Amino acid sequence: MSGVTSGRALRVGLMSFAHVHAATYARLLAGWPGVEVRAADPDAAFASADELRGRALAASLGVAYADSYEELLAWKPDAVIVTSENARHRPLVEAAAAAGAAVLCEKPLATTRDDAVAMQAACDAAGVTLMTAYPVRFSPAFVRLREIVEAGGLGALLGATGTNNGQIPVGERAWFTDPALSGGGALVDHIVHIADLIDALTGLRPLTVRAATNRILHADKPQVRAETGGLVTVGYEGGFVVSIDCSWSQPDSAPTWGGLTLQVVGAAGIAEIDPFAQHVGGFTELGKSGLHLGYGVDTDELLLAAFLDGARRGGQPQPDGQVGIRTLAIVLAAQESARTGLVVDVD
Amino acid sequence: MRSVRTFVKRPPLSIGLIGAGGITHTHLPAWLELGASVTVFSQDGAAELAAKYGVSWVESLAELLANCDIVDVCTPTPTHRGYAEAALLAGKHVVCEKPIALTRADADAVAALAAEVGRQAFPAHVVRFFPEYARAKSAVEEGKIGSPAISRFSRIGEYPTWSAWFGDDHQSGGIVMDQMIHDLDIARWISGEVTDVYAVKSVSVSAAEPCVTAQVTLTHEGGALSYVSGVWGAPGTTFATSFSIAGSQGVLRHDSRTDASLRLDSGPREKGGGMRPDTSLGESPYLTQLREFANAFAGGEPPRVSLEDGARAVELAVAANESIATGASVSVVRTVAGIAA
Repeated sequence: MSGVTSGRALRVGLMSFAHVHAATYARLLAGWPGVEVRAADPDAAFASADELRGRALAASLGVAYADSYEELLAWKPDAVIVTSENARHRPLVEAAAAAGAAVLCEKPLATTRDDAVAMQAACDAAGVTLMTAYPVRFSPAFVRLREIVEAGGLGALLGATGTNNGQIPVGERAWFTDPALSGGGALVDHIVHIADLIDALTGLRPLTVRAATNRILHADKPQVRAETGGLVTVGYEGGFVVSIDCSWSQPDSAPTWGGLTLQVVGAAGIAEIDPFAQHVGGFTELGKSGLHLGYGVDTDELLLAAFLDGARRGGQPQPDGQVGIRTLAIVLAAQESARTGLVVDVD
Repeated sequence: MRSVRTFVKRPPLSIGLIGAGGITHTHLPAWLELGASVTVFSQDGAAELAAKYGVSWVESLAELLANCDIVDVCTPTPTHRGYAEAALLAGKHVVCEKPIALTRADADAVAALAAEVGRQAFPAHVVRFFPEYARAKSAVEEGKIGSPAISRFSRIGEYPTWSAWFGDDHQSGGIVMDQMIHDLDIARWISGEVTDVYAVKSVSVSAAEPCVTAQVTLTHEGGALSYVSGVWGAPGTTFATSFSIAGSQGVLRHDSRTDASLRLDSGPREKGGGMRPDTSLGESPYLTQLREFANAFAGGEPPRVSLEDGARAVELAVAANESIATGASVSVVRTVAGIAA
């Protein structure tokens, strides 16, 4: 794998504005020293008319724009970020890999195991790296937790409970609630971050998954076509157990989008992280609502820094495509469990 | 100024307390505060306990039963049924520590005998009397969060090494039956009858570092889901509880660590510990509980927890332990008659 000669700008391509994180990445990259960014969003025409997409969004973000993916890749980007709909990652990752670009793919890596494995294979064949966009791993709270665990501060690990609750992603992008494009509901949206943290923390292999779901939350929203609440239990090798609440249970009018917590139980101690807890709270009469002014480290920026560093120097950044595949396997097992009511072995 | 209200004159409460372990230090002072006279009977420690609180003690169960109207069973779980039945047969009302028994059948036997002899028996599921849980229950009933959908309940304490029977699964039923039964009961109280139970448990392999954690997922009638997480952790682990109840119209949350009215930092000292939360800033929930039971014994309103609730909680804990053993989800669907299908 070859790196980029220092001195010239790193070319970063953004494929699709379907995912709301595309704008987040574009904004960060637009001001990134030594980075030239260009976006393409050719499927914008199929999006709902009230969604700001394509050339207009690129202009508002201050990034250059290509009319097609072919044109974008002909520009020879060193690195490509894929932020299409969850079910449409594969062709874009394959095209970016074939064009020789290091790839960062939005989570979940894919909505089927076949797609995820094929994406990794395409990157391997092209000699480029594949990274999965799990920014929570870069949270200083998690980094510290990992240090504590690795130093034996919690003793032997027994289990963990994780929560990743958010507002239901309706409104901003209509495809989020279309299972054909999103891959499902709360399970596919919110298991993966916790699963990734457990993977990074323990390296343990998941063996069994049991999930129960319901659609009581947001039952009044006709556009919602998948589960809105879910409780998932994962059994790992060595008897480690994890329960995850992945529900879209943050009320629509809450002052913040939601959050993520992870509590790890060891024989010598218990540690809990709440990476999005750092905030100034309060209340405002303007809008008559609570205030939640987060000031935590921007983990998206740290994720991009790791990705760009890998693209420049040619190394494999973490979280890689393999952990994307392993965590997707837990999601797929959870979906099968919720469907069948059975405890499902992880592939 | 003297109150001109007239009191309904009731005979003084006469309590026969069986046992002298940890929980008696919450019950006995509460009974005294309610104006009761208390007599203690215990295989061990009766004299010390009685001396500490200035009450009398006796050497036999027969003597105890001859000296009280209400029996409060605070002994290790395997002995609950026997003492409860002896008390009921002697015509006493009964307060029984949770869990009522280790099996649904034993719990039902107590209920059947109570009905037969026309006496009342209540399980001490005290968490229903903790104000944060009571407030959450009433908020749900008032419709403040719409229909409950996804709930989480967590309870963390120190591994109970001070009394050997707690750590012995055959005597206590383990963490699920002894500790998590509190939140299994609360989850059912909040979100309704349970149809399915799935549970996992992880135990420390080191005898020097005893620790156990379990996670139980409940499916309720109508589809609501709850999970209950319990930890008996390393020595010195600070007791902590928390819950989150997400409904169709909102969320309720509480965490004993962040929602406390007093936090103290007074330098180096013994850390945390214990199996019970600090309740000193309000009325003791143990007192609230015993007052409600005593009122029911005197012919007042039924309390917020029934023997059937206690028996059902035992059934949920048994199902969770079965799920842990088999690795499969366990159905606990009841028929209309209230008998396990």
